[in-house]
Amino acid sequence: MNVTVNGVGRTVESGPLTSLLDVLREELGITGPKAGCEQGGCGACTVLVDGEPRRSCLTPVAHVEGAEVTTVEGLGTPEHLAPVQQAFTHHYAAQCGFCTSGMMLAAHAYVEAGGTDDHEAIQAALGGHVCRCTGYVKIIDAVAATARGDSFDMTVTAASAGMTNLGGVQ
Amino acid sequence: VKAVGARVPRYDGIEHVTGRTVFVDDVRATGTLCAKALRSPVHHAAITGLDTTKAEQLPGVRAVITWKDVPLLEYGHLSALGIPADEPLLAKDDVRYKGQPIAVVAAEDDATALAAVDAIEVSFEERPTLFDIRRAFDADAPTIHQWGNWYPHFENEMDRRQIRKGDVEAAFDRADMIVQGVYRPAAIEHAPLETQVCLVVPEASGRLTIHSCTQALYFSLGVVAAHLQLPLNKLKVVGGTVGGGFGGKVDTATETMCSLLALKSGRPVKWRWTREEEFLCSSTRAPWHMEIADAVTKDGWILGRKMLTLHDSGAYARFSPYGLTKHSFHHTGAYTIPNLEFDGYVVFTNRVPTTAMRGFGVTSVSFATETHLSRIADLLDLDPYEVRLKNANRIGDTSPNRIVYTDPSTVPVVKALADGMDVTLAPAYAAMTRDQRSGDLLPEHLVDQLANPEDH
Repeated sequence: MNVTVNGVGRTVESGPLTSLLDVLREELGITGPKAGCEQGGCGACTVLVDGEPRRSCLTPVAHVEGAEVTTVEGLGTPEHLAPVQQAFTHHYAAQCGFCTSGMMLAAHAYVEAGGTDDHEAIQAALGGHVCRCTGYVKIIDAVAATARGDSFDMTVTAASAGMTNLGGVQ
Repeated sequence: VKAVGARVPRYDGIEHVTGRTVFVDDVRATGTLCAKALRSPVHHAAITGLDTTKAEQLPGVRAVITWKDVPLLEYGHLSALGIPADEPLLAKDDVRYKGQPIAVVAAEDDATALAAVDAIEVSFEERPTLFDIRRAFDADAPTIHQWGNWYPHFENEMDRRQIRKGDVEAAFDRADMIVQGVYRPAAIEHAPLETQVCLVVPEASGRLTIHSCTQALYFSLGVVAAHLQLPLNKLKVVGGTVGGGFGGKVDTATETMCSLLALKSGRPVKWRWTREEEFLCSSTRAPWHMEIADAVTKDGWILGRKMLTLHDSGAYARFSPYGLTKHSFHHTGAYTIPNLEFDGYVVFTNRVPTTAMRGFGVTSVSFATETHLSRIADLLDLDPYEVRLKNANRIGDTSPNRIVYTDPSTVPVVKALADGMDVTLAPAYAAMTRDQRSGDLLPEHLVDQLANPEDH
């Protein structure tokens, strides 16, 4: 079976009913999508299938044969963050980080589909995503900023990536 | 101090948004086995038979552990503080809560591990159960713990956490009104998005590398070393990345059993709980039962408080005696009450063992106290802000456990709250500071406390 993941064609050997989440994490070693509940209830495993958010834990891999799958690893890199990644960083929308990749992919799809910075619309778009750190306000702020096309000076943050002290603070 | 008011980048922020943060479940080790547990299907029972032979013989099963495999079966989470142990790592003679682990299997894949769990033969003789902490003291209540139904090992082998301060009977004699209330916050599951998970890798050197989602890395190190009877230098715990904890990852849930399986199989072993296990078997915030009686004057001074607290510890003690102790120290909330009589019990039930959650022991009494103060204001037809400001902790006041406050925040917080709610305070209250009491705010019942804080 052939699946394109983050722009790269991959051959999958797992059985057709294996969940897309297991194929990504266990066979292909792409660990951005997280196993939060494996019942479709939390959104941590969300990936994009041909641009649409999908719960990878409930998606048999056979359903995505020939499709384009995007995980958080395909959104951007530390040097070239996607707008939604910049906004999540700037607005401190990631706390423990476990829901973040699913949140950002749903947000990315929302903005790509023409979503606005209307908070109620954002809440509806992210309705199935749980953040147990309960950082919803900052998440909604970040999605609204992405929808508006806000730009951020990421130089300080990018320079500090991976550092374990406050080295970027002036 | 440079960081205050500055935009401080999170050191792990870029890793989080690019999916590069390595959580425990993202760590890969060649040849990793999957672990699954046989858990008690009943709330309270004697184990009358346990046979793992058939499970061990299944193809693909690499190790099965029961209580017989644990070098030191009982070790308490507070043993390092000299508190006796009560909880076996794996159930031996008794199960005291539904979901208690009895045996754990490591196999080549999840399906084989689950089949092996099914193949374990176990039998029980069920016993009566206890879920309501208020019934624990009844003569006909079932006994559900080897120590009885409440924890008996506070200092001097007292069976309760007790605070006596001032002269509470005199305060009640002088009161214009006694205001009573009962407050019962329920259990709460932390429900972090990352369930309990660990990966233990046996190294060629004989050491174990333990990748853990723990919030309390050194607790985990100590607990694993004690159960395994290994020196600390045989264990390397890798942690620091927690996919949500909120207190629920303070107890050592998986690391010890995974370590035993890794030693027995000679292979890396990963145990990731399902969402169902997380809800049904992991520790929760405790349910509490709090009875408060306050001796109050008609102008809103609280002269004295009598309080009884029952803390639902679940089936074992774990950190509950510590949580109840914190609770007792804070049992007047953010307020100063000079005459106190507090009795608190750590009560055992057939629920999952309870643990820390965001303000361990304190959130419960903050809820009770704040609700109670509003009741007092309501009953006396007083402004609830003014009742709070009057009784607020001030510099020089003493806590229930006789700590002199040097930096209390009640006054500025209540004033900010009034401001945020667009409440206009009377001038005397609007002008109030947290400075040491004087004038009208040094009523007769607090004069002695301020003069002799060490006696209170």
